[in-house]
Amino acid sequence: MIERIAWLWPEIILFLATCVVMVLGVSPRLALRRQCAFVSGLALFLAAMVAIATGPMATSPWPQMVPFMKGTAGFVGLLTLLVLAGTVDREVDRDQELGRGFAALRANRAEFYAFFLFSMTGLMLCASADDLIWLFLALELTSLPTYVMVTISTRRSRSQEAGVKYFFLGALGAAIFLYGFSLLYMGTGSTDLGAISTQILAQAEGGAINDIAMAGLVLSLIGVSFKIAAVPMHFYTADVYQGAAASVSAMLAFVPKAAGFIAILLLVSTVGWQWGVADTAGVSLGAGHSLPEPVRLLLWVMAVFTMTVGNVLALLQRSIKRILAYSSIAHSGYMLVGVIAGPQGARFIDNGVAATLFYLLSYGLMNVGAFAVVASMEHKGEEADDLDALRGLCRTRPWLGWTMVICALSLLGFPFTLGFFAKVPLFTSGIAAGEYALVVILGINSAIAAFYYLRLAALPMLEEPVGEAPALTRVPARIVAGVLSAGAALGMVLVAGFFMERAARAAVPGLFDGTHASQSATDQIARSGERRADE
Amino acid sequence: MTDLASYAPLAIILLMAITFAVANVVLTLLIGPRRRGKIKGMTYESGMNPIGTARKRFNVRFYLIAMVFLVFDVEIIFLYPWAATFPNLDPSSPDALVWLFRILFFLLTTVVAYLYGFRKGVFRFD
Amino acid sequence: MSPWILPILILLPLLGAALVVLSHAARARSIAFGITLGAAAMGVGALASFDWSQAGAFQGEVGVPWVPALGLSLSLGVDSIALLLVALTLLLGPICVAASATAITERVKTYYAWLLVLQAAMTGVFCARDLALFYVFFEFTLIPMYVLISLYGSTNRKRAATKFFLYTFTGSIIALAGLLYVVWVNASAPYGSGEWTFDIATLQATSVQMSAQQQGWVMLAMLLGFAVKVPLFPVHTWLPLAHTEAPTAGSVILAGVLLKLGTYGIYRFVLGLTPEGVMEHAHALAVLSIIGIVYAGLICWVQRDVKKLVAYSSVSHLGFCVLGMLALNSVGVAGSVMYMINHGLSTGALFLLIGMIYERYHTRDMEELGGLARKMPVWSTFMVFFAMASVGLPGLNGFVSEVMCLIGAFQDNTVAQEPFVGATPGRLGPWYAAVAGTGMIVAAMYLLYMLGKVVWGQLREPADHHPHPRLPTDLNAREIAILSPIALLCLAIGLFPAPMLRAIEQPVNDTVQWVWKHAPSAAQYAERDMQRASTSIARGEGDR
Repeated sequence: MIERIAWLWPEIILFLATCVVMVLGVSPRLALRRQCAFVSGLALFLAAMVAIATGPMATSPWPQMVPFMKGTAGFVGLLTLLVLAGTVDREVDRDQELGRGFAALRANRAEFYAFFLFSMTGLMLCASADDLIWLFLALELTSLPTYVMVTISTRRSRSQEAGVKYFFLGALGAAIFLYGFSLLYMGTGSTDLGAISTQILAQAEGGAINDIAMAGLVLSLIGVSFKIAAVPMHFYTADVYQGAAASVSAMLAFVPKAAGFIAILLLVSTVGWQWGVADTAGVSLGAGHSLPEPVRLLLWVMAVFTMTVGNVLALLQRSIKRILAYSSIAHSGYMLVGVIAGPQGARFIDNGVAATLFYLLSYGLMNVGAFAVVASMEHKGEEADDLDALRGLCRTRPWLGWTMVICALSLLGFPFTLGFFAKVPLFTSGIAAGEYALVVILGINSAIAAFYYLRLAALPMLEEPVGEAPALTRVPARIVAGVLSAGAALGMVLVAGFFMERAARAAVPGLFDGTHASQSATDQIARSGERRADE
Repeated sequence: MTDLASYAPLAIILLMAITFAVANVVLTLLIGPRRRGKIKGMTYESGMNPIGTARKRFNVRFYLIAMVFLVFDVEIIFLYPWAATFPNLDPSSPDALVWLFRILFFLLTTVVAYLYGFRKGVFRFD
Repeated sequence: MSPWILPILILLPLLGAALVVLSHAARARSIAFGITLGAAAMGVGALASFDWSQAGAFQGEVGVPWVPALGLSLSLGVDSIALLLVALTLLLGPICVAASATAITERVKTYYAWLLVLQAAMTGVFCARDLALFYVFFEFTLIPMYVLISLYGSTNRKRAATKFFLYTFTGSIIALAGLLYVVWVNASAPYGSGEWTFDIATLQATSVQMSAQQQGWVMLAMLLGFAVKVPLFPVHTWLPLAHTEAPTAGSVILAGVLLKLGTYGIYRFVLGLTPEGVMEHAHALAVLSIIGIVYAGLICWVQRDVKKLVAYSSVSHLGFCVLGMLALNSVGVAGSVMYMINHGLSTGALFLLIGMIYERYHTRDMEELGGLARKMPVWSTFMVFFAMASVGLPGLNGFVSEVMCLIGAFQDNTVAQEPFVGATPGRLGPWYAAVAGTGMIVAAMYLLYMLGKVVWGQLREPADHHPHPRLPTDLNAREIAILSPIALLCLAIGLFPAPMLRAIEQPVNDTVQWVWKHAPSAAQYAERDMQRASTSIARGEGDR
């Protein structure tokens, strides 16, 4: 127990900062309240640095992934925080500046930042989860605060509608994967991921994986697909992203998605990528390099539908936020390709998990920019969300315009941008795993995506501005975030090798070869065996 | 199948509970007198004549108070099992310290919740 | 050849683009012209310092590791074919800038900046010795071209630009999957080098060891990318639209260089990486290119828009180019390589001429324009000259390459060939050459028909025609200066093709022998084809 706490210092830092922010944010003094964002940022930065310095977590199925994902979460979170600044409480602050006093009940700043930090804590906890219950709690800690953040992000009824929709569908998703977790427990007799893995391998050697355990795994994956906005649980995405303020949508596009992918990697690692491709029963252990057939099939179908549905529906949209929402669905589909491919080798380029992790990092960095542009523009007091708002933006608002162009091209995966270097490993790892059909579908989908990303890139760059330029929200941090994100989309290319190596190291499994399994887990299996013998 | 025999008392309890509940409702319907009228159809308000509609909004403060109550109530409930277990721990074991810090951490959240509620103006009843 | 030349050739236009962006709009054109002229001068230097006796070897090589985790490196190098294509690019650079002097008056800085970026990207494609670098440059040509069409084109430009982008992007992303497959095979299969590398030479050595079926699929994937760019018959529909909507300089570059990226890709990668695949499927592809030749030629015949006519003629002409390549013998491939250069010169010039007319009359409709020989004798002279070069009049450049392509296609696998003794038979046969030959006749018909309408006959002008405020009735000195070097080159290549043929002989022979050597079942194909075409065997001399 105590040794585990040593891995959790980043989360503890974040939690303490949450406590501070929660009290700071309701202070009657404006100057103090304004420090909320600063405190959150400082905590995130510290947490990320501590996480990177802490090193691998021995009990996790992916020991090296823990620091990598926590670092990624911290730094993308910092970028997101720049966009989130100034989302709530602008009227409350103005009232106070005009001497009308501070209406504590109307102020949302404390909740907003505290919930943001809670969500980041949840994400980091997800990364260090080694137990189903821990994983469940971490996933919910990631999601629950976002429901509230969506609701309070604007004062429009649309945000409230989005929040409620998000909450109910989220609860449905949680119910499904919780049911899956319980079945997994029923089928293997343990909640410890290491013990589950050991048990599943034992079952496979004895004939076949327990059907109930397999059903549990499949249900869990379907439930978690809510977090990554994958088919069949993608329905909420567009409405919620559109209803929430663009800054919160920027966060929704990364934080729950990252948590979901970590959860998927953890869950899938219990069976591992060591099964024969054609072997439906999954008996011939070590014969191939694929997931057991039911899981592979599920993820395969999920990936194909997710990217296709996301891209095709994105074609039909006129709202920038909806386009980005559907594209975020599609990106989840791309990343699933890496999960299916699995860690085929220690080299970055044939390691699908490394590709997924690197894509997650890149997607997080470049996606913030696109949302930051939307968040920075205002039209008649509303967010300027229509595609028309982008027209001629490079001339009227050069910083925003070029940010949009670069981010859209990078999301498209255009050569010379980060997106390209993120997408190539997905292709190569898919090929390395022999998933040729999937790779071709991935290619076709990238081409479909070209259509709407091209629109996002061409409108600011080529069109003449219509009417007056969109007004800017008075939050310069958002423009800074956008420029940083665009800078990352171009500049990361130069140092991509460094991060790729980290990702490759992060994607080395410590568990599913069956040698791991902590002492407690082994005991637990023994105990459950005895219990069964008694019965 | 013999395993199920140990569940027999549970089944009997369940059966009794269901029978009792259903019987009460059904018997009332069957043998109770029925005199419908305007007065009888009125909302039951402990003998008073109801004023206005029952679908009335409460002041939002009621919810605030309810939530504050929930927070502190639940936290105090959590203190009981801790307190009950704590004396049994061997003071020399390192676990004892962990237990202490665990509850202090827990109390910290209570304090933060209190401060938050205080600043938010939950405890002001003007 | 100094290793500095190629990187500078790529970086110089990029630097120029930055200069143009930073400078005043009035100076944009002169900066762009200076930069492209400088690049062209360096190109002459590169031509001079190239060791032509080692034309098949890659020279001026540089290699810097780029993203080691992915095995990428920035490595450049040219053989004589790549160098000639680079030279073509560099030649068209200043010409395009000069040709835009009066046509582009708005958003000048953006225009010249993108033009320079485009030139850098195109140069990079030909110089790349790293597969990923090639792909990156190949894709990067899309953005500048997209901008040029959609900002400076005519009425339908948005649609044309989008169609252009989507067609090529879709094709090339599938090509990327195919190329990555080869890279993966190299990294994992027992016969590969075992490391992730995108080095083209290494990949070639591995790729040829793949089975015929693997090579077939890889070739199909790559062809999807390159065929769109060429464009081959079923995927050509973006080209006429893009050409008609593009500004003059855009059309010139599109026809002159961008289409060559496709044929160059086929030459370098389809022949280089998948010899057995191309051996297997050469017939099917040849049928496609012949359909393209004839079908596009017939479409040309019914056009009213001169520019569209020339655009469709590009489809037809590049059909010849691909056909020659698929003959898989030295004559055919050499003809094909020459065709790339020649088509770039003559079709580029035709687009320039049409642009000059369009600036004066604001129409390209053959029904509204006619008999311009009376009013614009100089323009008409050039027009007839380049149309003849395009038709393939003996003595001009088009003739040499077209005939070589047809000769190459004519030889079936029973005939050991005489000129360019590489001792490889052809892969196609007389029938292919015969049917494709009708394309030449069709070409003569539509181009003469067009000349008859536009150049000769009664003078016809649009009713609301006003003289251009800044341009004389006939060509001015600048326009003549633009056209003359191209005309001279056309004449020179047409009269003395030998130097150029000698220059490309070595790499072409190497490639052809590479293909035949690495198609182990080539003999089987030959046998099978012989059985299939038993009649031609009866006529032939028997075994070879």
